[in-house]
Amino acid sequence: MTLLLQGLALGLLTGGLYALLAAGLSLYFGVMRVVMVAHPAFLFLAAYLTYSLHTGFGLDPLATMPITVPLFFGLGVLLQRVIIRGLDPMMSVLLTFGLALTVEGLLGTIYTGSYKSVSMDYATRSLSLGEVHLPYDKIIAFWIAVITLTALFALLVKSRFGRALRATVQHPEAARLVGVRTERVAGYGFGVGLATAAVGGTVLALVTPFFPASHWAWIGKLMAIIVVGGLGSVLGAALAAILLGVVEGLVLVTVDATWATLMFYAFLLVTLLLRPQGLFGGRLAHRF
Amino acid sequence: MARILAITVTCALLAAACAKTDEPGTAPRTGPVRIGVSLPLSGDFSEPGKGIQEGYQLWAETVNEKGGLLGRKVELIFRDDASDPNRVSSDYESLITQDKVNLVFGPFSSRLVIPAAKVAESYNMLFVEPAGAAKEVFEQGFKRLFYAAPAIAGDHYNYLAEYITKLPEGQRPKTAAYASLDDPFAQGTAYGLRDKLAAAGITTVVDEIYPPDTTDFGPIAAKIAAAEPDIVVGGTQFEDSVGLVRALQELKVQPKLAAFSTGPTLPEFPAAVKNAAEHVLSPVGWAPTTDFPGNADLVKRYKAKFGGDAHEDAANGFTVGQVVEAAVNAVKCVEPTRECQDKLADHIRQGTFDTVVGPLSFDEQGRPEQAHMIQQYVGGKVEIVLPAEAKTADIVFPKQAW
Repeated sequence: MTLLLQGLALGLLTGGLYALLAAGLSLYFGVMRVVMVAHPAFLFLAAYLTYSLHTGFGLDPLATMPITVPLFFGLGVLLQRVIIRGLDPMMSVLLTFGLALTVEGLLGTIYTGSYKSVSMDYATRSLSLGEVHLPYDKIIAFWIAVITLTALFALLVKSRFGRALRATVQHPEAARLVGVRTERVAGYGFGVGLATAAVGGTVLALVTPFFPASHWAWIGKLMAIIVVGGLGSVLGAALAAILLGVVEGLVLVTVDATWATLMFYAFLLVTLLLRPQGLFGGRLAHRF
Repeated sequence: MARILAITVTCALLAAACAKTDEPGTAPRTGPVRIGVSLPLSGDFSEPGKGIQEGYQLWAETVNEKGGLLGRKVELIFRDDASDPNRVSSDYESLITQDKVNLVFGPFSSRLVIPAAKVAESYNMLFVEPAGAAKEVFEQGFKRLFYAAPAIAGDHYNYLAEYITKLPEGQRPKTAAYASLDDPFAQGTAYGLRDKLAAAGITTVVDEIYPPDTTDFGPIAAKIAAAEPDIVVGGTQFEDSVGLVRALQELKVQPKLAAFSTGPTLPEFPAAVKNAAEHVLSPVGWAPTTDFPGNADLVKRYKAKFGGDAHEDAANGFTVGQVVEAAVNAVKCVEPTRECQDKLADHIRQGTFDTVVGPLSFDEQGRPEQAHMIQQYVGGKVEIVLPAEAKTADIVFPKQAW
């Protein structure tokens, strides 16, 4: 029983991390119908930046976000302007695949292929509730995910930019007619997506060691999450991430790790067969 | 008349030249001894690939200073196979037929060793390799392949198994948990220990296998925590060894002994887990501190030539050189002919060779018959604790809490 509770707790916390890492992916798709294969590569680019700032200037990994987040927003806007704009979804897969390889190659050249890690003393302690232990690094990751996703959600729902962005997603021509500068808005949308990668990368640096090719282990899981959640739905992706995190945790403690990894693809397959729009996806036009 | 003679001679020479091209075994018997190697100098295995290359270069330098092989200078010819199994085949093909090398040395990792050894075997070339420990390597029917390292995966923990099973009754651990990456090499190391301990009556309470892209080790550690084992063994590479140690710490699992393959032997390990590295055990094929023949010299030369500290990959490359060098000096030939290469292979199969990783001998399939040393972090430093002949410090058991 303790084991089940422990699995559930760990799954829930890991699900939060997954939600944070997948948020950008659904945003890109929602905003621009871009399948951004390079998102995990940018997560690790951010992790490396965090590593550099941590080892170079002694900054706490979490304190690097005020630097990396604006940087990634700018980078995102630039990327969208220069290469992503005007691509159809199929082309975007190929192009962002190339982008992922470029980032990986760049990281390999600068940081070499050896492993890097950011290890903080607080990251290996845990909060004990009776027999169940909650690791602080996972708790931190979970709360950062909650804060980031709440902020992202508020931005999309409440702000003027959010309304313009949703209008651009739902009907670009109508949006242009009422004066939304759709091109610019789409660029900012991409920037926001990449900014979430900066946050995610910082958290990743805290919980796991990494090397330039680490991103390949994540792309499959994250893609499965956004499809199960409903392509383009930020909220759906977050809920799917929690669901899959919990399922993974429970299968891990009751069966084994091979079956737990398989769960992502089993859910993906079942979703595509029975409910191709995703668990929480409605009509494409209304998602964000 | 002179012209006719000239034409005849030219034709004869041309014919001889043409006849030569596809035939290995016609390299000149004077001049340098050319050794062909294809290595993954780019791609997935570029880091270890470059490490092996450094070992080969250091060996060649050492030999040449002593006057070369059978009085002939050693010249290494390197190709980069980009970690690609197809490219490695064509590299060895052309090294043997075009460059007409006298000898070939192996590449890095089982994935490249198998296709490379197939080519070498088809030209009857001796194939001593530095890094192909998976059991599949020895099941291909190769007759001239030898793995120049102390042990295949299953024997890595032999000294530790012996130590644990010989502990007095009261101290001897009773239960053990195993977690291993789904990879023939990593699994082989953990299972080698598991089988020996199980045979000695130590109960296996957890036996987990996880796929290579596992990123979350919390739930695996939770299972181990629930079983409260006396010892924890990881059949690991790097990321997972760190992931497991961190997760075990977080879930407050405090075994009396913790052993992980590969990860703890890398300098990145203590940086990643900090104080938790203390008293962690790991099998290691080579150590800078041992006084095996040529080892001190290797460490010194490495520092002088490449800067930084010598490492296991370089030592493995160096070992290949030492084994082949001993064989060449013993049978007194270094030609790429079937006759000579067979003599070399036969010699290696029956002999024992002094190398920087210790004395090596091989079985019929080319498997080495020794075991890895066991290292432990003691006072933040890597010390060799087993076997007794090579130890630099006493083994600490039980370990401190992490």
